[in-house]
Order: sequence, then C-alpha cells, then structure tokens
Amino acid sequence: MSLNHRFRAGLFLFIVLIICFISGKEFRRMTIPDKIYPSKEITKISELAQFNPNLKGTNGNTAVYYFDSGKPGGTLLLLGGTHPNEPAGFISAVLLVENLHISAGKIIVIPQACYSGFTCTDPLEGCPEFFTLKTKSGERNFRFGSRVSNPLDQWPDPLVYSHYPSGQELSGIETRNLNRSYPGRLNGSFTERVGYAIMQLIKNEKVDIAVDLHEAAPEVQIINAIICHEKGKDIAASAVLGLEFENLQYALEMSPQNFRGLSHREWGDSTAAYPFLMETSNPIQGRLRGKTSSDLVVSGNDPYYREAIKIGKFRITYLAEGEPIKLRVGRHIEGIKALLDAFAENFPEKKIVYGNIPAYQEILDKGVGFYLH
Amino acid sequence: MKSFIKFITCLLIIFLVGFTFVVTKYEKPILISSAGQSADVTLAGTLFKKIKVDVTVLPLAKKSDLNGVKTLVVVPGFSSKGLGAAGISREQEFDRIKDLIAAAKSKNMKIVMLHLGGVARRGNQSDDFNQMVANASDVMVVVKTGDTDQFFTNIANKRKVHIKVIDKIADAIPVMQELF
Repeated sequence: MSLNHRFRAGLFLFIVLIICFISGKEFRRMTIPDKIYPSKEITKISELAQFNPNLKGTNGNTAVYYFDSGKPGGTLLLLGGTHPNEPAGFISAVLLVENLHISAGKIIVIPQACYSGFTCTDPLEGCPEFFTLKTKSGERNFRFGSRVSNPLDQWPDPLVYSHYPSGQELSGIETRNLNRSYPGRLNGSFTERVGYAIMQLIKNEKVDIAVDLHEAAPEVQIINAIICHEKGKDIAASAVLGLEFENLQYALEMSPQNFRGLSHREWGDSTAAYPFLMETSNPIQGRLRGKTSSDLVVSGNDPYYREAIKIGKFRITYLAEGEPIKLRVGRHIEGIKALLDAFAENFPEKKIVYGNIPAYQEILDKGVGFYLH
Repeated sequence: MKSFIKFITCLLIIFLVGFTFVVTKYEKPILISSAGQSADVTLAGTLFKKIKVDVTVLPLAKKSDLNGVKTLVVVPGFSSKGLGAAGISREQEFDRIKDLIAAAKSKNMKIVMLHLGGVARRGNQSDDFNQMVANASDVMVVVKTGDTDQFFTNIANKRKVHIKVIDKIADAIPVMQELF
C-alpha cells in the first residue's frame, strides 16, 4: 500500500471516528432526564421502584410526585407519558407538578410513566428528539419519545404478543406498550414490570380516581374523548356535560370489556379506582402529516390536515387553525378538573380540594410555557 | 279573499305545530335504549338526572322490557367498542332495535330520538341506525354537528315530525324539560 493510500485510509478512519463521536454524543443526550421543578407544596418525591423492586436501577423506574394535604378526601393518580410520543399528556402532568396546591385529599402524579420510551424515538417516523417551550425564564427543552419502551430495555419483540393473564394476542411490538401491559407481572417482561408497579401503587395508595392522559392522530375516532370503565360511566357523563358548559366538546366512550391490558380496563377491573383516559388531537402522530418537526409538536399546525379538512373526504377531528400544545394541554387540564368535580358530586366525602391550576382560557391566552418554571 | 284564507290557514297550522311541540309532554314511565351501543346512552341518562326525571336506562332493551313503559327514548349512534363490550354484532344490534321499535309502535308508545354524538355518530356505520330511529320517532332532538347535511331535518320534514336542533349536548336540558 502506497503512502498516499495509507494517508487516505487514515483520514477516512478519522472522519468516521468523528462522526461516531458526534452521533454517540447525540444518542447519549436522549438518556439525560427531563428536569421537573415541583411546586413548593409537594410533600414527597418517590420512585416507581418502591412498588416493584425489579425496576430499581432500570429505565422502568420513574419519579412519583405526591401532594398530600393530610386532610380527609379522595386520592387521584394522574399519569402522563404512558406514550412518550404524546406530549400533551406529559406536559399536563408537569404543569400540575410545578403549580399544584392541595388542601384536601391527595394527588399523585407520574409525568413519565413509561420512562424508557422517553429515551428513544419511533424508528422510521422522522420524529424530533426534543421540543421547546418558551417559559418566563427562557426556553425549555422536553424529550419527545417513542410510543413504546426502548428496545434497548426490552428485546427482542415476539412475533405475537400474548397478554398476561388473558392470553389475548396482539402484534409483537405491543409487548413494549405500557398501555397493553396491565395488570403486569412482578417478574414479567420489562414493560409488564412497569405495569405491575403502577397497579401496586393504585392498590397500596388506595387510589380512588385515576386518569391516564393520551393523544392520538386526528383521524383516530376517539379524539377528544373521555374513555371510562363501566363503573365510572356516570362520573364521565357528568364530566362531559360539565365540560360542555365550558364550551369544550368531548365524546364519551366505554372501555371495551374484551380488550385487555389497557389502563381503563385493568385498573377498573382489578382495583377500587375509577379509571379514565383522555385523548387530544395530535397531528404529529397522524399518517397525513407533512414535515415532522419539533415545531409541529408545539404548533400542531399541519398543511396536509388543513387540506384534508378542506377536501372533506376524511372524518378527522382537527381545527383548521391547528391543534397547538397549549390547546391540547388546556383540554387535558380542564378534563381533569371536570372529572374531579363529577367524582366529588358522586362521593362528596372524597372531595379533593386543590388550587393554583390555570383555567383552559388562561392556558390558551398565555401559553403553556407561562405556567412552567 | 282566497289568499287571506290561505294566510290564516298557514298561521293556524304554524301555531298548532308550535303549540303541540311546546305542550306535548311525553308520559312516564320512560325507558331509554341505545341503537348502536354508543356511550351516548349514558349521557342521555345523565341529562334526565339533571332535569330530575326518573328513567330506566337499558342499552340492550328487548321488547319484553317495554311492559308498562309509556315513552321510549332511543339514542342512536354506532360504537364498535360498545358493541364489543355488549358482545353482539352490528347485525344483531340492528335486529334488536328493529324489534324494539316495532313493539313500541304496536303498543302506541311515543318514541323520542336523542342524537347526542354529533358528527362522531354519523357516517356509514351509524346512519343505518340513525335512519331507522329517525323514521320511527315522534320527535327528534339532534346536536347540530350531526345534522350539518340536514340528514335528520330532511327526514323530519318528510315525515312532518318535530325536530329540535341544538348547538351542544347541554342545550338538550331545556328542550327535555319541555318534553318531559
């Protein structure tokens, strides 16, 4: 080999090393946890591993925030980030953690329920790793993750996922979907262990009402819906009517009894809690979307969905002016309030009294970042 | 003179129609059932609670459940989740509601349709149920987004039955207070 060839080979290797270094650094950046700055009224920050020690030291472990008034009342569990590519759920939970005051009952918040899913993005979707919100003290980045746990934490996927204990069969990737894992198993798969810990939390903390925050593509039929277990249908119906008085339209959907593994089914069947799941319209998850960027996460404004509305051939739930994150978070926050009001109507002795949470219109007017630290 | 008589006749008809709508009180006991198993039937039950009228809510009501009932309220709207939860097929649901309406008609029972789900309860899957119930009802209460194409209004006009189109579900409360 001539000197010239050796030089070229060395140069090529050097360039490859630099590329590997930069991309490796970028890759590692995804494992840096999002910073959350709890409200002064927080009473305890714990971790999910206390409900399943198998999660200790793994990406299945995640922070659990407690707001305990010490006074009688019910207990609410709020989950964000079950699907880390549905950011309105995550940000709504963060907004609560950073602002909440409580004077009766207890509120427990898990903003990143599937923490592992926050350490990667879905392959072949071109999704951003982060999105940015403007707060009073400057710009703040948040992770945009994957719908399911990171394959580095649970691999390989089976061809067919068999849900425990029902034996219901779903496509293999669903084995890493937290919202198909319930009731989970102490020593099950990585994701089943997370599901098990959440079930144990609900039981041990005697949770009365549990809300799982989600988003979905505009073409999905359950957009802007509250999905409830049959035992909570009166509470959900009352909440839907309450929201109507605020000019917020929600559909009411029942949890299918034969679709296993979902929070609104398994939490309701196996615990005393009344579970609810809420969805907002998020174009970055949709098949019709155009440029997939962090701007789309925040603005929710996509030209192809606008076009789809104009054509009128699709049944989609999408506002022509876009579905910005402030609107989606505002809907979730107002939905939680309506569910708590309806729950208190049915169980006055378990009323949860809380404060310092902005109203829907305030979030729309000032933006969600205004309420984040 | 002829036009004057026509004018008076029209006024009289409008007055009578309006009067009938305002004063017709649908008798109790009331049974509420679904047509398509959407959860809107639960919303209908909650609306009756709000106006403090006792009702029986049976999403899967059969003709035997009509004994003693004076008014049947049907809430149409297809939900695959609802049908799945009920463990029945779309065809079985269609047959059930067809039988229920036929039985109610044979007993001269009044039928009230509440279409609460708006656009979400329209389209291919829902419209068979919507049409069947609309064609049998004595009065329809419809959330506006479910009637942007005048689907229900056209049926109401053709059958000369009353329809009340409301902006949102909560607006059904004063209408139901008038009806029940």
